[in-house]
Amino acid sequence: MWKTVLRRILIMIPQLIILSILVFFLAKMMPGDPFSGQINPNTDPKQLAALKQAAGLNDPAPVQYARWVGNLFKGDMGTSYIQHVPVTSLIADRAVNTFWLSLLTTIICYAISIPLGVTAGRHQDEWQDQTVQIFNYITFAVPAFVFFILGIWLFGFTLGWFPISGSVSPNASGFWGTLGSQLYHILLPAILSALITTTSIVQYLRTGIVDNKVEDYVRTAHSKGVPDNVVFNKHILRNSLLPIASSFGTVITGLLSGSMVVEMVFSYPGMGKLFLDSIGQRDYTTLTALILIFGTLTLLGNLLSDIIMSIVDPRIRIK
Amino acid sequence: MAKEIIQVKNLKVHYPIRSGFWNRITDYVRAVDDVSLTINEGETYGLIGESGSGKSTTGKAIVGVEPVTSGQIIYKDVDVTKPSNRRKLNYNKDVQMIFQDSMSSLNPRKRIEDIIAEPIRNFENLTTDQERTRVQELLDIVGMPSDAIYKFPHEFSGGQRQRIGVARAVATNPRLIVADEPTSALDLSVQAQVLNFMKHIQQQYNIAYLFISHDLGVVKHMSENLAIMHRGRLVEIGSRADIYNHPMHIYTKRLLSAIPMVDVENRIKHKKHRQEVELEFQNDQSKWYDKNGCVYPLQQVSGNHWVALPKDEVIQEELNEKGRD
Amino acid sequence: MSDKKKNASKTEVKKAKISSPASSFKVVVREIVKDKVALTAFIIIVLILLFTFGGSLFLDSSKVTEINIIDAYNGWGVNGHLFGTDDGGRDIVNLLIMGGRNSILIGLGVTAVCELVGLVVGLVSGYYGGYIDAIIMRIVDFVQVLPRMPIEIVLVTVIPHYSAWSLVWIISVFGWTNTARYFRAFVLSQRDRDYVLASKTSGSSDLKIMFREVLPNITSMLIIDVVLTIAGNIGIETTLSFIGYGLPPTTPSLGTLIGFANDPVNVVNRPWLWLPATVMLLAISLSINYVGRALQRAGDARQREN
Repeated sequence: MWKTVLRRILIMIPQLIILSILVFFLAKMMPGDPFSGQINPNTDPKQLAALKQAAGLNDPAPVQYARWVGNLFKGDMGTSYIQHVPVTSLIADRAVNTFWLSLLTTIICYAISIPLGVTAGRHQDEWQDQTVQIFNYITFAVPAFVFFILGIWLFGFTLGWFPISGSVSPNASGFWGTLGSQLYHILLPAILSALITTTSIVQYLRTGIVDNKVEDYVRTAHSKGVPDNVVFNKHILRNSLLPIASSFGTVITGLLSGSMVVEMVFSYPGMGKLFLDSIGQRDYTTLTALILIFGTLTLLGNLLSDIIMSIVDPRIRIK
Repeated sequence: MAKEIIQVKNLKVHYPIRSGFWNRITDYVRAVDDVSLTINEGETYGLIGESGSGKSTTGKAIVGVEPVTSGQIIYKDVDVTKPSNRRKLNYNKDVQMIFQDSMSSLNPRKRIEDIIAEPIRNFENLTTDQERTRVQELLDIVGMPSDAIYKFPHEFSGGQRQRIGVARAVATNPRLIVADEPTSALDLSVQAQVLNFMKHIQQQYNIAYLFISHDLGVVKHMSENLAIMHRGRLVEIGSRADIYNHPMHIYTKRLLSAIPMVDVENRIKHKKHRQEVELEFQNDQSKWYDKNGCVYPLQQVSGNHWVALPKDEVIQEELNEKGRD
Repeated sequence: MSDKKKNASKTEVKKAKISSPASSFKVVVREIVKDKVALTAFIIIVLILLFTFGGSLFLDSSKVTEINIIDAYNGWGVNGHLFGTDDGGRDIVNLLIMGGRNSILIGLGVTAVCELVGLVVGLVSGYYGGYIDAIIMRIVDFVQVLPRMPIEIVLVTVIPHYSAWSLVWIISVFGWTNTARYFRAFVLSQRDRDYVLASKTSGSSDLKIMFREVLPNITSMLIIDVVLTIAGNIGIETTLSFIGYGLPPTTPSLGTLIGFANDPVNVVNRPWLWLPATVMLLAISLSINYVGRALQRAGDARQREN
């Protein structure tokens, strides 16, 4: 199994390299440079040109790329044009928020989708299944942002059950008070994100159970006289749940790409919101860093999925 | 001696097995391993073997739809394993194929007319009217009603579909048709019908068949010469009389003894014969197979009769045969 | 080819009508009509198309986006504006018509590009297999792990002479991969069917086999995928416009209208700005997806029968 994991990691390396090149050129396409933010009418154009020369901005692209990658390894992602602070510290604050939101979303997502999938699969074509199918269809068809808008309108504004923006109430005090307030703030976005993330898990689980039900080994178990409940829990359920484990990485990836819309609607100070703020202010160093982080995390999410899969499913391991 | 139409020389088709960390090629599946045979004009050459023995792969290689690892297939003095040579010769105009599964060999989305006309359109320049006449003619030859041309494959029975397959194969007046188990998917009653059509067409147009089958009974009915294949290699080749009356290799003997016979009187005798053959097989594995479980290279026994045994074993076997006679 | 068809139909018209291919589109349509909900969804789609495309014929697009500050933020039904006006005094009904049309057009445009590219790539990859397939699939894998939305947003902001067409291309760059995967898997399963071998021995070229033999066998899948992809792409365009990086500001979109809901004041006090667009987008997404799923079910059922 370690061989499989190792090879999978090796495959990721060229992907990372290509990603970094892509991001680099994307960054080059963006207007502005590290000095744009510091220009004022008094700046001497000659001095500015000298500064640019010194910073290596006139070097050939490969040299600049090499330097950029070198800095990345040192943990230097540049300085924000707008905020004039290191990008890494800017992102670090926001990343924590996004992490908590994603974590809660993932937990809620699995807490909802596993029972739904199991119920649908177990009672295939009965009313339970049909209800789940309708739910599933809605979460699949409705664009995420429409879901969020309607959710915040109904539960946030109209009913007033949840706060409509921010990550913590300014009045919150003390450890438990702050924590409680934070949890309260991420609850609605997390539930709504979780709901629209359930689709594929529910579908996989249901199909898995339905398919496994008619497998020969299940029939054998039945014909041996194993009680229905035991057959379902010990054979069908276990074999259908395992593939779900691998969806974990994909769910994380999906949440990251979706974070932008949730964080925007709920004005939640996470990485997605930071990205949107940065693009509004044309803060390109921050943008570049964020794209690189999003890309790397996506790659890692997929890696995680594949590794879990290889642990769960011995068939795909290298012999 | 009849003129030969195609010569297969040392044909090999190997598939790589990739494994390990770097996904390197670590071994090969030797689907076809050093097969040589010659088919004469207008004859039916039977190729017999169990499933997975490489007989279909050999057939596909001869038609040119399976890439060859090494070896030659000589047709009209050129090696047709090269795609460029095939193109130059319009090879598939002369060498066609009939498939086992008539359903999957006919495109479900095409009308019979377009299916049968496909080789004609590719190889011959006919006007639409001529083409239509030709398709009607072909349907007539295989005994199908003329309104069949507007129908789709799913509207026919298995036997009818196989006859459509035959019609497509003979559409360009080929000289050799590779028939890959053409009847094994059909009911027994329909099998005879299709086989008779094939024989009839053969006599009429002097077509040679490479008749691939696992059914020695059917092959006996069809072919003059035959080859037995096992694990990618030839076990024994010879005329019908050679193989059926003087089988030399244990594999051939086992195959022959396995043909079911309705002969109640000699039931005990047949059973005893089967058990003898089985015993011979069990006792002398190394005599028949090398350490990899493959058969040995072919040795000549007489005229056309070749068997896969070491030289001294051949002589020994011959003596045994004579003694028995 | 067409002459031949004509001849055939002239000589034997009656008989030609009897037969139809094994899994024709007509059969699928019949399945849809039998399913009452799918039929309703289909009718909703037609009504929305009539409203947007028909309505836009009577509108002058420059007038629709003309700013008229005096009329800003009119409520429901004020001054003859059925759904009120936005911050620039523009009539919401008109914006709905134009925006709905634009969003659907972008969805269609992206779908056309993605399906075409995906189909060709999928056919080539699945049919040839081997190294060609391996290389293509590595590229597909890579494009799929890219952070799609951030890159799209950056491209929207940095591309010079940005227009609706640019948006189509930007979304398409990421969209073709799913389609390619989908068709590749199917072509792979068809490649070793005997009818493909039979076409090879009949002397047909690879291109001809791909497009004349294999392609007709995946038309029903193509239709299903097109329908579902349209819905998905409308979703992507409206999402980008909602965030503010979709269609150019001068081009109305449903997403831009829903984007008014980003301001809490609008959410509470001016629902006419965003609610109609939200409802319309919901109707579009739900009905197109339902029709797509119904087609899928019909297709699956047919496959099981065969």
